[in-house]
Amino acid sequence: MSALQVQRPADLLCEALVGLRTLGKRSLLALLGIVMGSASVIALINIGNNAASEAEALFKGMGVDTLVLRFSEQPRALDTVRLHEMLPQLRSIAPIAQASVSLVFRGQAVHASLVGSHAALADAMRLTLREGRFFSDFDQLATFAVVGHQLAQELSAGGVPLQVGDQVRVNNYLYQVLGILQDQPDGLLMPIRASASLFVPLPGMARLDGRAGMGEVVMRAAADQDMPLLASAVRQAIAHLHGGQDVNILIAQQMIEGMTRQSRTFSYLLMALAGVSLVAGGVGVMNVMVMNIAQRKREIGVRMALGARRRDIRYLFLLEALALTAIGALLGAVLGGVFAWGYSLLSGWRFSFAVSSLVLGMGSTLLVGLFFGLYPAMAAARLQPVEALREE
Amino acid sequence: MGGGLFVCALQLTLVLAVCNSEPLISLRGITKRYQHAGQTLSVLNDVCLTVHAGESCAILGASGSGKSTLLAILGLLSAPDSGQHRFAGQDICTACPDQLAALRNRHIGFVFQNFNLMPRLTALDNVALPLTYRGVARNEARERAMVRLVQVGLADRAAHHPADLSGGQRQRVAIARALIGEPALILADEPTGSLDTGTASDIMDLLLSLNREYHTTLVVVTHDITIARHLQRQIHVEGGRVQAFAS
Repeated sequence: MSALQVQRPADLLCEALVGLRTLGKRSLLALLGIVMGSASVIALINIGNNAASEAEALFKGMGVDTLVLRFSEQPRALDTVRLHEMLPQLRSIAPIAQASVSLVFRGQAVHASLVGSHAALADAMRLTLREGRFFSDFDQLATFAVVGHQLAQELSAGGVPLQVGDQVRVNNYLYQVLGILQDQPDGLLMPIRASASLFVPLPGMARLDGRAGMGEVVMRAAADQDMPLLASAVRQAIAHLHGGQDVNILIAQQMIEGMTRQSRTFSYLLMALAGVSLVAGGVGVMNVMVMNIAQRKREIGVRMALGARRRDIRYLFLLEALALTAIGALLGAVLGGVFAWGYSLLSGWRFSFAVSSLVLGMGSTLLVGLFFGLYPAMAAARLQPVEALREE
Repeated sequence: MGGGLFVCALQLTLVLAVCNSEPLISLRGITKRYQHAGQTLSVLNDVCLTVHAGESCAILGASGSGKSTLLAILGLLSAPDSGQHRFAGQDICTACPDQLAALRNRHIGFVFQNFNLMPRLTALDNVALPLTYRGVARNEARERAMVRLVQVGLADRAAHHPADLSGGQRQRVAIARALIGEPALILADEPTGSLDTGTASDIMDLLLSLNREYHTTLVVVTHDITIARHLQRQIHVEGGRVQAFAS
């Protein structure tokens, strides 16, 4: 008698698949639960991933190399040349003063926010111009202005489009339009809405609003800087220049990390939901297998009489449960992928399929099948041959 | 067919070797009881039985006499409550379930009244099934199954499913399945019980020819005394006890 009689895996699989065919409609119903579970895992992971990468792309477009410094007490002036000497890692430094004004262009009066800054702001905020140019360091004292996209449209509402070279009245001063900005999204970090603002050189701000102080500084780092490290260097430099001035420094990286963490928490929540549907599907599989085994007791008895060991019976039914689950997992993967794709399409996101979702989704589904198939398979293997044979 | 003959010759020498040393089946003081509704029912009571290799025996008895239980014990499908049971040189009482499964697979061929073929497998795969539990590769198992189908005269029905076969053909497939493991013992439980008279005598002739030509031990459970007369010994089971007669 050989102790080493082993049924070949390929034969076992063939038999399991043949067995499955007879399960019919009941197995289809159990499959539904499994398909939904697998589909939700895969869809949710993909949607979560796409949302996260979309949010990240949104931030990255607005510059991960940007720092925004906010003063608690607005200083009259900031020595940007000195600051630049102290921190050569900064590519551009642009202080900002804000005020609210009303503009008049050809009898068209519009309220807008006035932003006084340096020429460096265009680089620091990555502003691009539709027409004309941004003011330069040589225009510090001139009455030149750059108009945001939306503001330009509002000023053109009277029928005459605003053009470069036109004069806009701000309070009692006439400013010449030097350039008009392109429509571009603001970074969430940015203290101003570029599209709705009128940009003028900072030194001239006092003419328009005597109380407007320098509230923020927008800075952009040179390539490949460690942003948190740079932020603390800036904090030290400002403390040195402005004697203990309390400043608040925002960097995009913190917000991106916060956002990624948040979306990860969200995905975990979704995965927990997917888990619940998987367990429901698993219970369905167990139900089908228990019924299946109850109906096939006699067959189990015959197999035992022909020399099947307990483990042969266990593997047979475990494989049937697994094959059933695998079919469900596969259908679910397709369904989940389609669902995630559709969701991205509706949200206007770029769709990318995460391979990890396939591994995680199908893997967890198969594990559920294994777990819930184990009990019925072991119950079948524990049957006494003579009792199984007597079953009708 | 040459391979088949060789295998049969080998089997013959094996059977003779076993015959020389000890009986194929030896039951001593076997009892079997069932618990039912708080009462203990004694189904087999101090049964002693010896069957030598190559013999043919009929087990006769009315329903409820305990002959099914005796068959289950002979087929290693059920363990007695007490007594000694030796089969093919092994002590059955101390064997574990896996060892019993291996003994059934290698030494016993079962033939049932209701054929008990797997409805979803073809005749060929039904015959090959016991070999897969030995780890024989599918193709080789099918080749050997074909030899057995030829032996029972059903070579042209190999690809049919049991539902497409007549009762007699199904029982032939079942006999081919019982033979494929080259067993020392064929246990037939009312093998002709579901067949008409003509087919029944064909099936009995087939079983007897296997016993005659290959010296396969044959134990047939039946309630039909005319069938039992064709076998060398008749074992009557009555009230949980056995009495043996020679033909």
